Amino acid sequence: MGMSRTRRINLVSGAVLSVLAFAGLFPYLFMVAASVKDNDQFFASYWSPAWPVHLDNYAAAWEQVGPYLFTSFVVAGLAIVGTMVLAPAAAFVFARYRFPGRNVLFGLVAALLMVPSITSLIPLFVLMRDLGILDSRLVLIVPHVTANTVFGIVVMRTYMAQIPEEIFEAARVDGAGGIRLFTGFMLPLARPVIGTVALMTVLGVWNDYFWPLLTVQTDAYRTIPAGLAFFANQNAQQWGPLFAGYVLASLPLVVLFTFLSKWFLAGIQGGIVSGK
Amino acid sequence: MTSTKARRRIPWGVYLVLLPTFALLAAFAYYPALNGMVHSFFEWRPGFASPFVGLENYRTMLGDDLWWASFRNIGIIFLWAVTLMWVFPLLAAELVMSLSSERLRFVFRTLLILPLAFPAVVNVLLWQFMYDPRDGVINSLLRAVGLDGLAGNWIGDPSTALVALMTIGFPWVASLPFLVFLSALQNVPVEIYQAAEVDGAGRLRRFWSIDLPMMFRDVKLLFVLAVISVLQYGMQAHIMTGGGPDNATQVPVLRMLDAAFLDTSWGYAATLGTVLFAMTLVVSVVALLAGRKKEV
Repeated sequence: MGMSRTRRINLVSGAVLSVLAFAGLFPYLFMVAASVKDNDQFFASYWSPAWPVHLDNYAAAWEQVGPYLFTSFVVAGLAIVGTMVLAPAAAFVFARYRFPGRNVLFGLVAALLMVPSITSLIPLFVLMRDLGILDSRLVLIVPHVTANTVFGIVVMRTYMAQIPEEIFEAARVDGAGGIRLFTGFMLPLARPVIGTVALMTVLGVWNDYFWPLLTVQTDAYRTIPAGLAFFANQNAQQWGPLFAGYVLASLPLVVLFTFLSKWFLAGIQGGIVSGK
Repeated sequence: MTSTKARRRIPWGVYLVLLPTFALLAAFAYYPALNGMVHSFFEWRPGFASPFVGLENYRTMLGDDLWWASFRNIGIIFLWAVTLMWVFPLLAAELVMSLSSERLRFVFRTLLILPLAFPAVVNVLLWQFMYDPRDGVINSLLRAVGLDGLAGNWIGDPSTALVALMTIGFPWVASLPFLVFLSALQNVPVEIYQAAEVDGAGRLRRFWSIDLPMMFRDVKLLFVLAVISVLQYGMQAHIMTGGGPDNATQVPVLRMLDAAFLDTSWGYAATLGTVLFAMTLVVSVVALLAGRKKEV
């Protein structure tokens, strides 16, 4: 009748997509609504938001989730520092120099992409035990530095190899050495890929569950994944604070997603492709 | 790329640059990986003498019913992952692309992938709540519509626990397959669709003759990734069921961790880890070779 074919397709597609989007987001919407209810409100208005909001749930959750967030930030921050000390320089060398053993050495790095962290967990645990660093923040940081250095070298090398040589030629004529070329030219140019690797490190810390679960007993040393699972057990039936804790644990990633969604999605695709 | 004239001599500095990186990788990547393989032939007792036992651990594995049952479970998880967990993302990607307004496409794409912004552990914990027998969303919904009889103890019942685990994240649109399908469809040249329309091809015909073939390469990649990731499946099961009830959701990773941390059979755990690694490697290498053959 009055409705064109295009409009009909739009309406049907939009309706189905709305249902799919709502189904996917429902647990999160429920979480946010329930995070500001007390237990009476939770049962009285199970399906709808309730008034007045109980922000004290967040204060209660913060007591427990705050230390996990702090440790996660420390672990992610130091893992990023460690990765950035090692990976960009190594990638620069692999991308811009010719030297005996280059391909073999790079192959050795890239081969590690095929070693899933979980299958090395047992021997790595024994190593950390022998080194006497179980139950510390250091034991959490080291595997992230290792994994992201490997990932970082591979993606940064590709990126750096594509940057045209002419940019460096002029500087070299001016007498700039390798270090100057690296810090003055390559690092600024490689900012996008450095950002991606940093973001991947954060995602890695927020998603690594078994390692902190098994290596750390001190509650404050737990990062978000193992910490939140512990928190969930401690707060069973305390629905308001429980969901408030989930929200707090999610906030850093949600903020990153909001402002860096392009890098974030690239990170997810790259991370899964690299087998992490 | 490299100015060959200027640097014929070996730039020794590069080895100095690479040294710290390889020192780190040697200590915390190569050594543990190799050490795990070596100790799969030992009765590994960290801190004590560990006798060599030859293939004993591998023989134990062959007779370990729980280990093989765990492969049956990840087999089921895999089949689910490459069928149901692809259908919804594929449908969503097709529908997004059939919207005529660029803005609407952007809005729906954002809403559909928004769950990706949340940590995986939060997703699992929220679904644990969804399944809660008393206060969970699923049973509350069933009771609200008068279907009290259908309410169940979803993760506590061996007959539903595995399905409950696999249903985490329904409808699975906030996922890598969706991102892959969507970008594959976006890369189909408009001219091809226009030509199809001129030929009078309908929407379904277009899907079978254009969209699916265009996505085939990506589907192969997703397939390989699904095999690799299902071999590493564990976090969801550990949080929700711990492999239970009655081992209904036992998976290889949990079996390996139990061998080490519950039974303190570190050598046996190293064996299971080595076997899992070997399987991952075989899949990756086969995929790599198959991919290369196509390009020749």
